[in-house]
Amino acid sequence: MVTEAVTTMDASGLKAIGAGLAVGLTGIASALAEKDIGSAAIGAMAENESLFGKGLILTVIPETIVIFGLVVALLIK
Amino acid sequence: MQLLQKFKRGNKKSQPKGHANYAYTTARVRAMKSKILPKETYPRLMNMSIDEITRFIEESEYKQDVDELARQYEGVDLIEHALNKNLAVTFTKLLSISEGDVNFLVGEQLKKYDIWSIKTILRGKYCNASTEEILDAIVAAGRLSYTFLSDLASKATYEEVISELANTEYYPILKNYDGTNLSDIENQLDKMYYAGLFGAIEESKSKDRKLFAEFTRMGIDLKNLITLFRLKRSGITDPEMMDLMIDGGLKLKRKDIEKMITLSLADFVSELEKSPYWDVIADVADPEMVSLIGVESQLKKHRLKSAASFSHVYPISIVPIMDYMLSKKNEVNNLRIIIRGKAANLDDETIKEQLVI
Repeated sequence: MVTEAVTTMDASGLKAIGAGLAVGLTGIASALAEKDIGSAAIGAMAENESLFGKGLILTVIPETIVIFGLVVALLIK
Repeated sequence: MQLLQKFKRGNKKSQPKGHANYAYTTARVRAMKSKILPKETYPRLMNMSIDEITRFIEESEYKQDVDELARQYEGVDLIEHALNKNLAVTFTKLLSISEGDVNFLVGEQLKKYDIWSIKTILRGKYCNASTEEILDAIVAAGRLSYTFLSDLASKATYEEVISELANTEYYPILKNYDGTNLSDIENQLDKMYYAGLFGAIEESKSKDRKLFAEFTRMGIDLKNLITLFRLKRSGITDPEMMDLMIDGGLKLKRKDIEKMITLSLADFVSELEKSPYWDVIADVADPEMVSLIGVESQLKKHRLKSAASFSHVYPISIVPIMDYMLSKKNEVNNLRIIIRGKAANLDDETIKEQLVI
């Protein structure tokens, strides 16, 4: 008698992969965006120290991308 | 966007020059540009006496340079040397803060100063100037360091100077120098500078590089126009003067210039009416003009204006850096004009005419 092995994917596993991708990819995206902004901010600060506050704020703006990723990851869970 | 351009480009021809830090350099350069004197300063400077201007310069960005040179020079000479030193320090700083591609392009642009220094040394040797006199006229703003240049200046003859430069790219031209054909060698060096710039531009087909090409070629147009005006003003209509013209202009092609070179001043001005640069000089150019100051400063003004507008098209590219270099050079020139003019007791109107604001 032939038996057919049925393999099903565990839904919670797929969710975990999804959540991981959501955080991981957005992390890379914000890193790419922050790379240039950060180095530009450092450059401007080297000439004019009073730009520290503005530079810091502008550098962390792309951080929102990874926060969205984190929120999505939490929603999936 | 640069990442995208890098993929598009494929980097087939160009040598890898390492990571280019456009974001860092342009942001830093923009911060440096914010320190350039605003144009409202110049009328104020015009109303000051020499001592007040000296004081003003000593308290500005040039403080450190004035302090360093204060032991050697005084008065107007001190200010002039401080301005030159500041220019050299600023431009070499651009070289040291940039990396990879940016560094390469800034270096190509600054070769102008290397060539300038070599020319100064050769001219000095030609007329038997002392080492100090030569060093006074040198602005070490390029890749050749001040130490190396002062070494060159201290050589006794031009042969020694040239043999010292044997490992540089200028040697193939310099070796033809026989002590008499200085102006020919100088022309060839200048042409080599532009050939180098074009080589750098052609390496890449990215959009920001095209803009840089446009910027450079417009500079060539304006330079050619100024040379043409000067030739016409002195009544020279010899077609052999084409040697003085630089190839690769943006709107004035070689054949246009060939046509213009044989005209007299009056015909030349009426011919220019058809050219795209007429709007720039329409107010000051007239067939019977005595002085070229108006035309030259209008053309320079146009160059500065277009550089500033170019630099907004691609904010993260080489163009804002070039714009800064032009503005800085212009600031130093203007300050020099004011201080030298005041020292020579020129009236305010004459000095104002010379300023490029």
